[in-house]
Parts: sequence; C-alpha cells; structure tokens
Amino acid sequence: MKFIVSSSSLLKQLASINGVITTNPVVPILENFLFEIEEGKLTVTASDLQTSMITEIEVESKENGNIAVPAKILLETLKNLPEQPVTFSIDEDTYSVEISSDNGRYKLAGENATDFPKVPTVSDDFSVDMSTEVLSSAINNTIFATSNDELRPAMTGVYMNLTDTNTTFVSTDGHRLIRYRRVDVASENGNAIIIPRKALNLLKSTLPSENTNVSVEFNVSNAFFRFNNIRMICRLIDERFPDYENVIPVDNTNTMFIDRSELLSSLKRIAIYANKTTHQVRLKITGSELQISAEDLDFANEANERLSCEHDGEDIEIGFNAKFLIEMLNNVDSDKVELRLSEPNKAGLLIPTDKSDNEDILMLVMPVMLNNYV
Amino acid sequence: MRKIIHIDMDAFYASVEQRDNPELKGKAVAVGGSSRRGVVAAASYEARKFGVRSAMPSKLAAVKCPNIIFIKPRFEAYKEVSQQIRNIFYDYTDLVEPLSLDEAYLDVTTNKKDMPSATLIAQEIRKRILEETQLTASAGISINKFLAKTASDVNKPNGFFLITPDDAEKFVETLPIARFFGIGKVTADKMKRMGIQNGADLKKYTEADLVSRFGKAGRYYYRIARGIDEREVTPNRIRKSLGAENTFEDDLTSVPELKEQLKKITEILIGRMEKSDTKGKTLTLKVKFHDFQQITRSKTITKWIENEDQITSLYEELLGTFDTGDVKIRLLGLSVSNLNHELKEEPIGQQLTLDF
Repeated sequence: MKFIVSSSSLLKQLASINGVITTNPVVPILENFLFEIEEGKLTVTASDLQTSMITEIEVESKENGNIAVPAKILLETLKNLPEQPVTFSIDEDTYSVEISSDNGRYKLAGENATDFPKVPTVSDDFSVDMSTEVLSSAINNTIFATSNDELRPAMTGVYMNLTDTNTTFVSTDGHRLIRYRRVDVASENGNAIIIPRKALNLLKSTLPSENTNVSVEFNVSNAFFRFNNIRMICRLIDERFPDYENVIPVDNTNTMFIDRSELLSSLKRIAIYANKTTHQVRLKITGSELQISAEDLDFANEANERLSCEHDGEDIEIGFNAKFLIEMLNNVDSDKVELRLSEPNKAGLLIPTDKSDNEDILMLVMPVMLNNYV
Repeated sequence: MRKIIHIDMDAFYASVEQRDNPELKGKAVAVGGSSRRGVVAAASYEARKFGVRSAMPSKLAAVKCPNIIFIKPRFEAYKEVSQQIRNIFYDYTDLVEPLSLDEAYLDVTTNKKDMPSATLIAQEIRKRILEETQLTASAGISINKFLAKTASDVNKPNGFFLITPDDAEKFVETLPIARFFGIGKVTADKMKRMGIQNGADLKKYTEADLVSRFGKAGRYYYRIARGIDEREVTPNRIRKSLGAENTFEDDLTSVPELKEQLKKITEILIGRMEKSDTKGKTLTLKVKFHDFQQITRSKTITKWIENEDQITSLYEELLGTFDTGDVKIRLLGLSVSNLNHELKEEPIGQQLTLDF
C-alpha cells in the first residue's frame, strides 16, 4: 500500500490529536497512530482507551489499507522536514513503513492495525449542538476548578447538565465551585453527564479559534464531539455529581463591587508575602475600603495594600487562598466583579458584573480560617 | 500515642431542669415545645425508658409516655453550665474541642496537671462536674477522637469506659455498625443492605470501594473500621489572654495594700505564663470596687511582657490612671493579652471545604 500526502498538512492533523497519546500506555500499541486509508481518505486515530481522537485528511492513493505507525518518530520526522509531498510505502506483511521525501528515505517499524483497540461508537444517543465559542468558554471557565482527587472521581470532571431552558457546566474541587450557565444551549429532553478533565483539556487545545459548530452526542458511557474534520470520543465519568446547588449560599448579603484588574494585581503582589502552604490572604472590608494583607511569620514577611471599593454591608474580615482568587479573577473578563460574603467561615461568591447576555457565571470559594475569628 | 477524652453530659438539658426544679426529679421530663409541631430537644432518663428520644416529635413523645412533662428550654441556663464545665476542662488542657454545649473532646497527652493517667483525669473531671454543677457526665478515654467518643457511650449514664490501644481493633470489630460515630441511620441502613453489620464486616472493604460508595466519608469509614482516626483535637477557641485575680475578704483601702496584693497576683500570673510558655504585649489591670463597679486599664508595649519587673512597672503606671485616694477595693486582677500564641497560629489557616 502506498500513499502521498503533504508533510505539513499531515503534521497539522497529527499534532491536533497527538495529545491523547500517553507516554506509558496500558497497551504498547497505543504509542501508535492508527492509519486507515479508504477511497483516497486517510483516517488517523489516536487513543488512550479512555479518550480517542480521530482526524481525516485527503491523500493520493490507489489502494485501501491499514497500519499502526509509531507516533513519536513520525511526528519528529514530519516536524523536521521542509514542506513537501512525502510518500508512505507500507509492507502489509512485515508492517514496515517507509517514508520517502526529497531529502531521503526513513524506515520505521509499524504494527498490525488490527491490534489497535476498537474505538467505541455512540449509539442510542442524545445529541446537542453548540458553537466552539460556547464550548471553549465553558471549558475555560470551569476546568481549572476540577479536582485531582482520584478517590472522588465525580469531581475530576466537569458536570454538564442540559435542560429545556439552559445548559449548566459545573466544576468543583471541594474548596471552590464554578457554575457556568448558557441560555443559548438547551435541549428539550434534559440530560446530564460528567466529562473527564483530560478530554476537556484536549478539546480546549484542539477547538479551532474560528467559530464553528460542535456536535455533541452522548449516551450513558461515552460522549462524542465532532467539529471540522476532528472527532473525539471519551468515556464519561459514571458517578453521581455532588449536589452543588445546595452549597451555593443564597443569603450572602454583604456585597462589594471592585475593579477586577486592580484586585487581581493587588492579590498577585500580596500573595508573594503569604504563607507558602496556605496562601492565605486577609481581606478586610471597612466602609468603602478593602484592605488586603498577608504575612508569613516564618520569614517575617508581610504585605498590606488598600483599595477602594463599593461596599454594602457590615465591616468584615475574611481569609482566602490567594491562588484560588487569582485563578478565578484570571478566568473572568469583566471590568468589575462582585464579591458576596456572609461570614468569615462561610462560602464567598465571586460574580463578574458584565457578561454576555447568554451566560451566567458564579464562582464560589471557601475561606481559609483567620484565627482571630471565634 | 495520644490520650483523648470525650466528655458527654447525661441527658443534659433535662438534667439541668431536674436540678433546678426538684419537683421534676425522678419524673419523665422532655425539654422542647409541647405544641403540635414541637420536637423533643432532650429527654430525661425516666422518659427514655418509655422510648422517648431527642428529635422525636413532641406529639409522639406524649403518646409513648403519657405522663411526660414538657419544659421550655432555657438556653441561658444551659450555656452557663456549659461554661462551667469548659472551665473545668481548661484546668487540665487548652486542647478542648467543644462539640456542643454538653460535650467536648480533650487532648490530655500533655496536661497542665502533669497527670500520667487519662483515666484518672477523666474521673477527676467527672467528679468536679458533679461537685460544681450537681450534674453527671460520662467519659470515654482512648487514643483518638472516634474511639473516645464511642467509648463515652458504653457506660452511659454516669459512667466511663477506656479503650486501650491493644483493645481498639477488637472493640471496633465487634461494634455494631449503627453505633459508629459518624455513621448515621441512612448510612447504617445502606451498609446493612451491603451486608455490613459490624466493624469486622466494614473492614473487608477497600478504601477505594468505600469512597466510590459513600464519597469522601468513605475514607473516614475505612479508617475508623481500623480504629484509626488522625483528626486533631482542635480548640476553635484560642486563648486570648492569661490572667490571675483575687477577691479579698476585706476591702483594700490603701495604696501599699494594693501594691502588696498586686505583687502576689503578679507572682501567680508569672507562674501561669511560664507554665504555658505564654507572653503577651498588653497588660490589663482589673479593679472591682466595693460597690461592684468595675474598671479595667491596659497598656501595650512593643516588647514581650515576660518578667515581674516589667509587670510591676506597668501596673504602677496603670494605678496612676485612676484615683486611688479614697477607695474600697474588693477585687484586683492582672492579665496579659496580645499573646505570642496568637501570632504563632496566625499563618496556619485552615482551608474550609464544601460540605457535599
């Protein structure tokens, strides 16, 4: 079997799905790309069993055939070749692959394509369409707050709940929680799934910057994403997502409005002086002044800044992990944010004040106890 | 190895009511509303014999025990007793973690009385509670919070139980699942459906298994099934000040008398400060006059207050801030605040977690 393809277009396609491949896969064949040629079309699959990505590219070829090609060597080769058509010649008996270019010939040992694990297909599925813009902002807004705790698998992914009026994406690591809601995506039949973080990270890096449609199909065990010429299939997290609505306080009446970038840059400076394990910063709101301070007594470091804000409520002093606040503020593009608090030991809410009509963002963060609070 | 005591007052609210109103003694008493929607907050042991339990609707309690007497709760009275018993605890250790008004964990691994036996401490505390409040308490003594809490229930009321490190695993193995602290009715039912009747059954499950079935609590279940509980006794009240005071049989009327007494109080204070390795930056002088009028005067310095000379010069300065010419003083007190411990604790903030 033989086919000819442009080195740079093939590289581009391979690079977009290469992220799936792990360095030490469960079965060694998963270090390969699966090449399948049919009617002049090359379908490439990369998989780690949990997640698979598939892309397609037109090639010049007279025959049909399959082969598994070592991913790392192939990618390195293509990266270092100047743009040109390259010819792949595959010996279907020995699975050897020969690549010839203007520069020379490269021979590598492929593997039998039939050994490559079968990618699941989604049947009896539920489908919904959304734009790449919606999907990528949903991912960007939630993924950073997912948990790494493998003992609580439900929290290692992002929960997506479709209803007839909106779609809600939720992530939490137990210390903070993000609820990102879109009213421009809805489905008459409600349904909810938990998408693993790895799949979302791959989507995040592969979704094209130009706005296009993503078709999402899923059943209880797998989800299927399709955009442009790329498909991704991932196994879903089959767990019950925590009852997140119950932990979102509704009576946080101590509110403060503040310039987002001022708060963010202040926190970045103050955080340098915070204790390195707790990252605790102290927010003290008195009248219309926010005082941010931190100290690390082990090194006799301390820092203190004052910002002005609009504040409605009792004076309050509350501690937070600066890293959490910084991460949250970094993921918001509103000019101003609102902080809704109640008590120094109760959840605080961070809400961007300007947002698009179609979205609703709520960020919850649990405090770090200040010890002068009794 | 830690030494943890769990102290639990017996039928607390009901016992306080029976103590304060002798007519209720020996009778079935329920503290709580008797109205249609009321629930029992606490039931006396006489009422418990009829199956009355706390959190039971009052209506049901009245059916189970027709002679039951409903009493409106008097939280002020309970709080007062609660404070009394906490003060007893603080005589032994500062590591006191109150769970509610009527129960607390004490870490007595190192204690202020240098008593080697946690059992003796528990006995002494129970004795003092009885003497000072006329109420009985039960105690559990063991090496961690879970075991201590479980133990205090064993010989309740008015008893105590010790689970030694060697007994811990055996004890947990035979413990019925519903008796595990932290396993409520719903979880216990779920476990029973899984065939878990006691600690030994629970032990057969892996940690991952329990976590996948019960969420984060699974981790706790896995540990307690092995008698392991590493949770610290965390006093949510950090000592803010340390003091000493004295009420005099005869009112003090002259400055030399005052100074003489303050010198004695200073000695006691210094002793307490040294014992708990405490120093502060603020000294407060408290004066109560014969007519019970009370004033406090304080002075803060930049250095640590740690010796008698510093304290003496500070209180002499404070004495000058009010008229000492023609006074009758019944009480004098000195205390230090702005303590070094407060500062030490400062950076160790605890990250709170969502309660899923």
